[in-house]
Amino acid sequence: MNKYLKTLIPVDIAKGLALTGKHFMRVFTTANRRKVPLHVVSEYPEVPATVQPRFRGRLTMLKDEQGEVKCVCCLACEKICPTQVITIESGKKEGRKTRLPLRYDFEMERCIFCEFCVESCGFDAIILNHQFELAAYNREDFSIGMLGRSQNMFELTPVGQFSHAIRPEAKKD
Amino acid sequence: MQTMTLSQTCVIAILQAIAVVIFIFVVVPLTTFAERKVIGYVQDRLGTTRVAGGRTGLTGALNRGMWSLGKVPVFSILRGLPVFIGDIIKLLVKEDIIPDKADRAIFMVAPAVSMIASVVVFAAISFYPGALFTFPRFVPIVGGLPFAGFLTDMNVGLLFILGVASVGVYGIVLGAWASNSKFPLLGGLRSAAQIVSYEVPLTLSLMVPVVLAGSLNFNEMTRRVATGMPIWAVPLLFVGFFIYFTCGFAETNRVPFDMPEAENELVAGFHTEYSGMRFGFFYLAEYINMIVASALASAFFLGGPFLLPFGLQSFVPASTPIIGGPSIIWYLLKIFFLLFTFIWVRATIPRYRYDQIMAIAWKYLIPFTLVDLVLAAAIRFTMP
Repeated sequence: MNKYLKTLIPVDIAKGLALTGKHFMRVFTTANRRKVPLHVVSEYPEVPATVQPRFRGRLTMLKDEQGEVKCVCCLACEKICPTQVITIESGKKEGRKTRLPLRYDFEMERCIFCEFCVESCGFDAIILNHQFELAAYNREDFSIGMLGRSQNMFELTPVGQFSHAIRPEAKKD
Repeated sequence: MQTMTLSQTCVIAILQAIAVVIFIFVVVPLTTFAERKVIGYVQDRLGTTRVAGGRTGLTGALNRGMWSLGKVPVFSILRGLPVFIGDIIKLLVKEDIIPDKADRAIFMVAPAVSMIASVVVFAAISFYPGALFTFPRFVPIVGGLPFAGFLTDMNVGLLFILGVASVGVYGIVLGAWASNSKFPLLGGLRSAAQIVSYEVPLTLSLMVPVVLAGSLNFNEMTRRVATGMPIWAVPLLFVGFFIYFTCGFAETNRVPFDMPEAENELVAGFHTEYSGMRFGFFYLAEYINMIVASALASAFFLGGPFLLPFGLQSFVPASTPIIGGPSIIWYLLKIFFLLFTFIWVRATIPRYRYDQIMAIAWKYLIPFTLVDLVLAAAIRFTMP
């Protein structure tokens, strides 16, 4: 009798509909009005996609308050790199105690994103940043250094520049 | 009302038919679009937000336009709307393949049978029990004449609807057989068994408002069920609505009763061998059947053009402003809500097993409907 009643009065179906209805209303009412969206996907090219904090993207060098790179050319990263993608040419500059890199070349083509270089760095001078748009049309574009436009490690990647250009905030500049 | 000449009657009938067809072919693509969006929102996604294509050309312009519109909160829900135009174009221009071993004549006729059976039902559905508007005097032939909210006012309207709607299964079974392939055949056989089973509780549950109203005329039934009910009839109509709507899912082959096109078992079910616009006819027929099921449910159980459902309108005096009288807006809102429910249930409930579907129909719904019907007959006996 109890089982018969349970079948006749579909409580479980009502519960399921209530759950999905709640999710529907939550996303439906807030889809484009909240700064932090409740839905789990992002409208990627127009809205920047979020990545996890530990995401390992492209290698870049950090700068201190004066805008100078923190790197002192200890070559720890170059030595520990398992695929030997880092090449550093060190030099001197007036008014700076430590050495500084004249060139810091990074062959992203062969990089395995193991983050050993960042771990070995004693001066917190390099990180793997959160850029994930790493595709390029030419092999040369994967040789990244401190100069140039599309191969500059301080700039956005070529795809990143494209998707930044179509975002509404880029039009304000 | 002045008497109409034959030509005036013909012109008005044709205009009404065109209006109904436009209604169908506007609502159906919007329902497919709503299906994508609603299922997306239920799963914490956004559904479709753009048309396929690059940043340039027509699709790029559409994407950019919809994106800039999307900054307004209301339009952000509609972003991705141009997709339904792409859907229609895709169905129209795709290659139409007929298998070598198929029975060509039946193969070509079957989608048409399915489609016609679902469209013709609208001849007996009444959207509003009276004139929607009157043509102004300066209109050539039909000036000064009313434009009714229904196509025909048959005195056996419900019988007509049930009769024509059940022809739709022939389209599925014939198409399945003519495909000359095992998966469509299995899908078609399942569909036949399922629809024949669910016709019984569907018709019996529709008998509840028929018995209570004492009429088969669509307008008459809607009016009496909505406004002339004693308080005892309300729970019966409430139960009858859920039984009817459950059967509506089975009749339209929607999830959770989509046995004929069980994707993981039967490829695509009865339309496996179909492509192009022939497949499109089956596809459209499913959505038109959804509109029909929603229209019948809202007319006979949810009060139709009156606001309050389940006969509760009987306790509101007809002189009340706004909610007292009938309005086509209430009816359309109810239809759209039920269409939303179709999609909502699809996003929630997984498919039943075949024996469970049959058990629901024969062991639970039919006895329950019979009890409902007997109680309704008892109430009818006490009614003046």
